[in-house]
Amino acid sequence: MSTASSNHNDTLSILLIDDNESRASALVDALAHSRYRIKHIASSGASLLKQVDELKPDMVVIDIESPDRDILDSLHTLSSFNPKPIVMFSEQEDSETITRTVHSGVSAYVCGNADPTRVRAILDAALARFEDYQSVKQELASTKHQLMAKEQIDKAKRLLMKSRNMNEDDAFHALRKMAMDTGQKMEDVALTLISVLNTIK
Amino acid sequence: MSTEVKVGFVPLTDSAPLVVAEKLGYFEKLGLRVSLYPQNSWATLRDKLQMGALDAAQLLAPMPIASSLGLGGAKVQMKVPLILSQNGNAITISNALFDEVLDSNGLLELPFPLPAKCIANVVAKRARQGLPKLKFATVFPYSCHHYQLNDWLNQADLSGKVDVITIPPSAMTDCLSSGLIDGFCVGGPWNAKSVRDNDGVTVLTSYHIWQDQTEKVLAVTKQFFEQEKATLIKLSAGLLGACSWLQSQANRFEAARWLAQSTYLNEPLDVIAPSLLGSCITKYDSAPEQMPQYNRFFGSEPSSVNKPSLQNQEWLIRKMREAKQIPEDEIAMSDVFDKRYFEETVMLFQGSFTSLKN
Repeated sequence: MSTASSNHNDTLSILLIDDNESRASALVDALAHSRYRIKHIASSGASLLKQVDELKPDMVVIDIESPDRDILDSLHTLSSFNPKPIVMFSEQEDSETITRTVHSGVSAYVCGNADPTRVRAILDAALARFEDYQSVKQELASTKHQLMAKEQIDKAKRLLMKSRNMNEDDAFHALRKMAMDTGQKMEDVALTLISVLNTIK
Repeated sequence: MSTEVKVGFVPLTDSAPLVVAEKLGYFEKLGLRVSLYPQNSWATLRDKLQMGALDAAQLLAPMPIASSLGLGGAKVQMKVPLILSQNGNAITISNALFDEVLDSNGLLELPFPLPAKCIANVVAKRARQGLPKLKFATVFPYSCHHYQLNDWLNQADLSGKVDVITIPPSAMTDCLSSGLIDGFCVGGPWNAKSVRDNDGVTVLTSYHIWQDQTEKVLAVTKQFFEQEKATLIKLSAGLLGACSWLQSQANRFEAARWLAQSTYLNEPLDVIAPSLLGSCITKYDSAPEQMPQYNRFFGSEPSSVNKPSLQNQEWLIRKMREAKQIPEDEIAMSDVFDKRYFEETVMLFQGSFTSLKN
């Protein structure tokens, strides 16, 4: 599976954003002697960006009612920010509905007003689901990439066959040789070739 | 009386129509039991609306479009049956940046509205001296504030040369006074608050960037729109009644008093009232600028401000494209701004409220 599952025996740092002190300390207690290490802060405005940057947490846990929620969401639009699992919790009675809906979304999971004994399991599940999601996303991106690469190579092959009177095998071998000689990927060679052959034409 | 309708909002000066409709009992008059739920963040408000924890919400105009496209969250089709306001935002810079702008441009006072090229001189000077980029904040990626700030900065080709981050409205003033950001684009009362506290200078309003464009809307899920037509028309008519009531200056002062209460903004009247009364306070202890259209809730007739149209939708989509939030090849979307109930809403509004002289 994905790379992050190899961390399962390591400690994971959690940034907890909660304005309710007693609830936060209950969570810290519940996670004592676990692989999770909690750093608790109250809603902090823009300094949240600094904290996330400094702490590099593996996971962020946030009260759904915190104003910092919008800052956290906007982090995902920054390309420099690596996606992290975000667990949101809510004390609303209808948090079961929230749980179901948010599960279908991206990296957000709501654990409701969970009793401490369940917290660890919820965090584990959120992390696993996030890793699944990330690996599916990566798989999709790499499949897309492979398809595009194949398209480029085919196009370059056709151009070679037409302009140099080669058969398909010869064209493929010529491309592969160019790639090996220059230490490039075949799709990159194909791209260069397409632009060169199109300029000459 | 029917079941409770839960309406969420983020408390701001332009939440006035919701607060007014509640205070004047407009919903009850139409046989509707409405409860208002103030929220701390736009993302949470959106999520609660998407999942049905709230029935309706006052949203930033681009948010229902973003939700219908699945941008920044789950993909849930939304509908906008009523527009609640136009204008209302402004750009405020920190006192430190104000001094820097004076200095870099060799000025003794700043023009109002401030041309972005005055900021460009600061940006260029900072780059020469190896100082960090200027950092501005807006309230949400899918907000008019974000596109207004973009448009202003682009007047001087500053796109990418200034960092833009997201901070919720209520945290804006603290972030400015503590130096975490150099400026922001936000709605009332937060510009006025920074000025009253002598933490910043308001240099232009959103009206100087876009004139009379949609700012806040009433939004529901497509499912609610289709299943709860009668309820939605009553809710819209009550809010339209409040928008119309807010035409009068005298009424607007009362609205400011209600907004000042702890359940809503919990801020002093001298911070909330100015924009509602058409005044933009710009600098501590300076005379205000006249801005009659600062907060616009109603026009010469119900359709001029409040009617949702595809033109509103197209304008916002264009701005979202310019901000590279929607790919150029995104296929056409269905009507989010939907005028199908508007005529009945206006009829109910006229039958129920126009004879009232509150």
